[in-house]
Amino acid sequence: MTAIDMTGLRGAGRTYAVTGRPGLHVSVANLGLACCAVEFGSAVTRGLLEPADPTLEPEMTVLVVSGTLTHRLTPALVEAWDAVVGPRVVLALGACATSGGPYWDSYAVVEGIDSVVPVASYVPGCPPRPEALVAAIVSLADAS
Amino acid sequence: MSDAHAFIALDSAACTSCLVCARECPDWCIHIEQHSETLAGDGRPRTVKLLDSFVIDWSSCMFCGICIEVCPYDALSWAPKPVVAESTRAGLAYGISELADPKMDDEG
Ligand code: SF4
Ligand code: SF4
Ligand code: SF4
Repeated sequence: MTAIDMTGLRGAGRTYAVTGRPGLHVSVANLGLACCAVEFGSAVTRGLLEPADPTLEPEMTVLVVSGTLTHRLTPALVEAWDAVVGPRVVLALGACATSGGPYWDSYAVVEGIDSVVPVASYVPGCPPRPEALVAAIVSLADAS
Repeated sequence: MSDAHAFIALDSAACTSCLVCARECPDWCIHIEQHSETLAGDGRPRTVKLLDSFVIDWSSCMFCGICIEVCPYDALSWAPKPVVAESTRAGLAYGISELADPKMDDEG
């Protein structure tokens, strides 16, 4: 029925922890859909996020949705969200995930991922800085 | 280094409600409401526009700065205050008081 290979889009595949905050038992997964995903990658390569210790049980998983959600890709977001076990929240990284961003009036684009999944944190920017991503993750974890 | 994008401040006293910024914004994230008033004077009556509300909706803002560039009255400017993440989308819509430049407040 669908011609889309969603293997690379599954959010639960690889998870990260906030560097230098071992007390923060959050695991961070990224569903990269467009350019904001580069900033998630930058947070990893700059050492702000590090690969999660698989032996630790996270108290919460933050599913970061970075980029533009098209109607065509909505099933991939639902699948990624369903794949997260345990306490979970969604972080909308950037203008596209928040509202559709520069493409909000495109026929192909969802005007904000919150019409598909509940969002706990909206991080403004096009794209936001990696530091803003990590600050938002930390405040979600502190608030939980 | 700042951990969030810079902020666009509005000097509402300098803004003439001309709508140029709202029209030029590629994302249509500036929303302005205004009304006209006619002032009587010595000469012919003059009609002025007065700002009722001015909202920048950061939820779709690209921080491109076009609004700052095109404002004919220098009412918009970059400010170092960060726009932080919010738990609601509505929280990302800043009105006149939230858009006031913190530096201007200090200067009184
Ligand atoms: S918000 Fe900007 S940088 Fe992020 S995915 Fe959309 S267009 Fe790209
Ligand atoms: S910075 Fe760009 S996108 Fe944001 S309000 Fe100004 S013109 Fe619109
Ligand atoms: S362009 Fe400048 S003066 Fe005109 S409405 Fe926008 S902020 Fe006000």
